[in-house]
Amino acid sequence: MDVNGDDLIDIVSGSYSHSEPSVDMAGYFQVLLGEKGGKWKAAQVLRGNDEKPLLLSSGSKEQADVAKICTRAFVADLDDDGNLDLVSGNFGGTFGWFRGEDSGGFAPESTWLQAAGAQMQVQLHSDPFLVDWDGDGDLDLLSGSATGGAFLFTNIGSKAEPKFAAMQTLVEPVAGHQGVIIEGETDATETPVTFGDAHLVGPNSSTRVWADDVDGDGTLDLLVGDSITVQHVLEGKSEAETRVALLAWEKKFQELMERMQSNAGGAPDAALNDEWQKHYQSKKELVREEMTGFVWFYKGKAKGDGAKRTASN
Amino acid sequence: MVSVWVAWAAPMVLAADVGFEKPLRLMAAGKPIGVESPGYACPAWHDLDGDGKKDLIVGQFAGGKMATYKNLGGLKFSERQWLMAGGTVAEVPGVW
Repeated sequence: MDVNGDDLIDIVSGSYSHSEPSVDMAGYFQVLLGEKGGKWKAAQVLRGNDEKPLLLSSGSKEQADVAKICTRAFVADLDDDGNLDLVSGNFGGTFGWFRGEDSGGFAPESTWLQAAGAQMQVQLHSDPFLVDWDGDGDLDLLSGSATGGAFLFTNIGSKAEPKFAAMQTLVEPVAGHQGVIIEGETDATETPVTFGDAHLVGPNSSTRVWADDVDGDGTLDLLVGDSITVQHVLEGKSEAETRVALLAWEKKFQELMERMQSNAGGAPDAALNDEWQKHYQSKKELVREEMTGFVWFYKGKAKGDGAKRTASN
Repeated sequence: MVSVWVAWAAPMVLAADVGFEKPLRLMAAGKPIGVESPGYACPAWHDLDGDGKKDLIVGQFAGGKMATYKNLGGLKFSERQWLMAGGTVAEVPGVW
């Protein structure tokens, strides 16, 4: 995206937190301005037209903190007024809109995008990506979420007055997570515990989406980034014995969780907390966990009447 | 015994006119394109080197760094290069 109109690609990012000590946990937007020769300047705080750092406006008291922790920022002319706008996701899953102003730059205060008469929202960690998904000339909004998947909010208004429909699912979120034991499956050999990453068939959680004609066939595709904890068998151990050990670990973990929940609101139980901590730490003696994330390619294909969604961004 | 981690409160409506082939995990130099711990891969698609082909950029949580993968065509990518800014590896402050 070109934030300053110099025809060079700039990079805009949200962030979780101020660099300086702060009462509130609230993230600045950072921009890396493009330079000639495919280079970029160091990140600098993006400021509003009042010269103060842009910050998402707090929502209700209940969501004040999570609403200000920004995730992805996306810059595009959402209302077709000739000024670039900034749309940001946040920890709480809503979408803030800083309108671009005629003087250049962004309005100091954001408003919240609406969809189907309510605040537009995904299941935490909103991830806005603006693109004309349905080919009707206006910008629609795609998003990932903390629970995975890819979602579409179709713009049913106009280019100048965007109005979004209720959320539709493009890619369903994951039904479970690797290593989670599904209810009713008590046999260790039947649990979905797997090792390594070779078996993975699709994105996990905390998805981030990008739409473009990646393979050049004239149809929009999706790139989806994710986050996953990959489990590796320890040296000298077999997958079978590690599965059994993990099942036993999970059972005890759940028992401890239930005991802690039943004790909620009562006097602190130091012994129980200590037992929980020791048990939690003991997992590393059973398996090596690698936290990572991958990038998945979803090749788009036309359905229904055969009309192709055409890449235009 | 154990409930699944995902709890989706809102009813899901599948977009009717959308179809994708099965997802393919992107590779670079023979290895899956992945990010450093604690994960959180965020892809972008832009022509970084001006060769007419868009390249893959992958943001990550750790250090607020961004990896770039030159597009070699046919969904093939070169090895990871860290995006540079001001002569050093670019970092977005406050990501974590």
